[in-house]
Amino acid sequence: MKKSNDFVYSIIVRVVFIIVALVIWEVAARQNLFGENSEVIFPTLGSIGKAFISNFTEGYAGISFWVYISNSLRLLVTGLAIGVFASFILSGLSMISRGFYHIFNLVVSIFDLLPGVALLPVIIIMFGIKEEVIILLVVHAVIWPMSRNVLDGFMAVPKIYVEAGTNIGLKGLSLLTGVYLPAAMSYIISGLKVGWARAWRGLLSAEMIFGIATCPGIGMYINQMRTNMNNAEMYATLIVIIIIGLVVQYGILTPIENCTVKKWGMSK
Amino acid sequence: MKKKLLAMLMACSLAITACGQGGGTKDNTETIDIAYQYGLAYAPLIIAKEQGLIEKAYKEKTGKEIKVNWHQMNSGSDINVGITSGSLDVGFMGIAPAITGVTKKVGYKIFTNLSGQEHCLTTNDESIKSFDDLIDSKHQIAVVNVGSIQHIILAKALHDNGYDAHSLDSNLVVMKHPDGMASLESGSIACHVTSSPYIYMERENENLTELMEVNEAWTKDNSFIVGVASEKLYNNSKDAYDALSTGISDAIDYLNNNTEDAAKITHEYNGNSQEDELKYLQLGKYTTKTSGVYDLATFMKENDFIEELPESYNDFVFDNVEGD
Repeated sequence: MKKSNDFVYSIIVRVVFIIVALVIWEVAARQNLFGENSEVIFPTLGSIGKAFISNFTEGYAGISFWVYISNSLRLLVTGLAIGVFASFILSGLSMISRGFYHIFNLVVSIFDLLPGVALLPVIIIMFGIKEEVIILLVVHAVIWPMSRNVLDGFMAVPKIYVEAGTNIGLKGLSLLTGVYLPAAMSYIISGLKVGWARAWRGLLSAEMIFGIATCPGIGMYINQMRTNMNNAEMYATLIVIIIIGLVVQYGILTPIENCTVKKWGMSK
Repeated sequence: MKKKLLAMLMACSLAITACGQGGGTKDNTETIDIAYQYGLAYAPLIIAKEQGLIEKAYKEKTGKEIKVNWHQMNSGSDINVGITSGSLDVGFMGIAPAITGVTKKVGYKIFTNLSGQEHCLTTNDESIKSFDDLIDSKHQIAVVNVGSIQHIILAKALHDNGYDAHSLDSNLVVMKHPDGMASLESGSIACHVTSSPYIYMERENENLTELMEVNEAWTKDNSFIVGVASEKLYNNSKDAYDALSTGISDAIDYLNNNTEDAAKITHEYNGNSQEDELKYLQLGKYTTKTSGVYDLATFMKENDFIEELPESYNDFVFDNVEGD
């Protein structure tokens, strides 16, 4: 009973928060907060709603908005998959080889500090302008925080678990999948959350800085809307970005968390 | 608990409203906020800033002081937002974002032309000799943005030569001028549409050639960088507006009549040697008179770069501006 009350309370609080935030926005927009031309840069919710629909029905420069969204998501999923897979492989190797662990730990510490956007000029000169460059930036955004979490998770596995595993004959890959991965799952899920957010932001930043006309993404769309002073359309695109973020958070990551660490009693 | 939450949200609301109303309180000294961007095309502004020409013009007219705040910004669209929000009074930008701003009713008009520069399409591929070699090819062309002045000049060059203005849109890649130049020189892309000072640097590279159709589509005699002033400044602070126009005009005159001295002042800002700066300044055209504004706006409307076209040239400029 208490659990269902908590759930209802959490929904009410969130809905009230969103409604109040929207009311504040609408009041501010209608008051012409930024002078008589305020509507141009601070549109009302009605204008943003219309722009939201026109984004999907009209697109821009003869290209459907769905093309922008699907391009971005395709690059994101590819980069995310490569980044997550590579971080598991590299972190796993670190558990098997001590020498590799020290080197990889250093590499993670160095590259995690470098913003992908700062590497962009070097990457462009080395690889040219193609969609693989954006995928590379997404991989860069994911692999280091994900690896850091996986490594920390592996290091936090109690020694007694590992000894129990070896006693029943596990070693190498079987020890990794049988002991390390389940025991470090809460760290891995946390790494996935951070990695996904970093990848999404990294992708949009890269698309805003350089866009390829043959593969236009959401970041490029935002830039085009800004250049043309279509600010209602720009805000509407930000809402699309938020919706995609929420779908991934509550549609994918939360169920994974519920089916693993919460079910196993490793997290509240 | 719920009351606390509501109180917090109300406080946020008041704070946001208070933020929006800031910036209007000034003491008796008139203040003017001017935004400009980086590059040789903005050289007269460095002179106006260093020599205090707007302040001098204001003092001569009114006998009072004026405080001029200079802000260096990254793009015309950022300046458009700054002027609309009231945090800027004046901005200098490419003619394309200025036309977009006027048609979107940002609340400003052009108060002066500043400069004209050459624009070019440079390529590292000797086999590219005309637009025919680019259309339907996989060659990539770097521009600073879709809808930027460089993109529009490329579209105009295509149109002037009998092609569809958007026939190279699918070849575009978007990147800043320095990245575009580095990518062109490294062979990552095939072509770069650019303006000064990168045009001069690329010309010094023997491996690069130019497609002259782009140079001819929008020459240095046409408006490239213009100054826009908010209608609020024009209507409410006429003395400041007049001092601004006079100060910029004086800076342009100084640059044209004392180019060597001007290069001494501006070369450090632009990161060039004094000799190079002098050479580059002599290659540009600095004048207060606009050229080709309404023609370009008409081209932009006819080719879907803007949605609306004002009725006449006078809708784009204040009444003191000469030109077309």
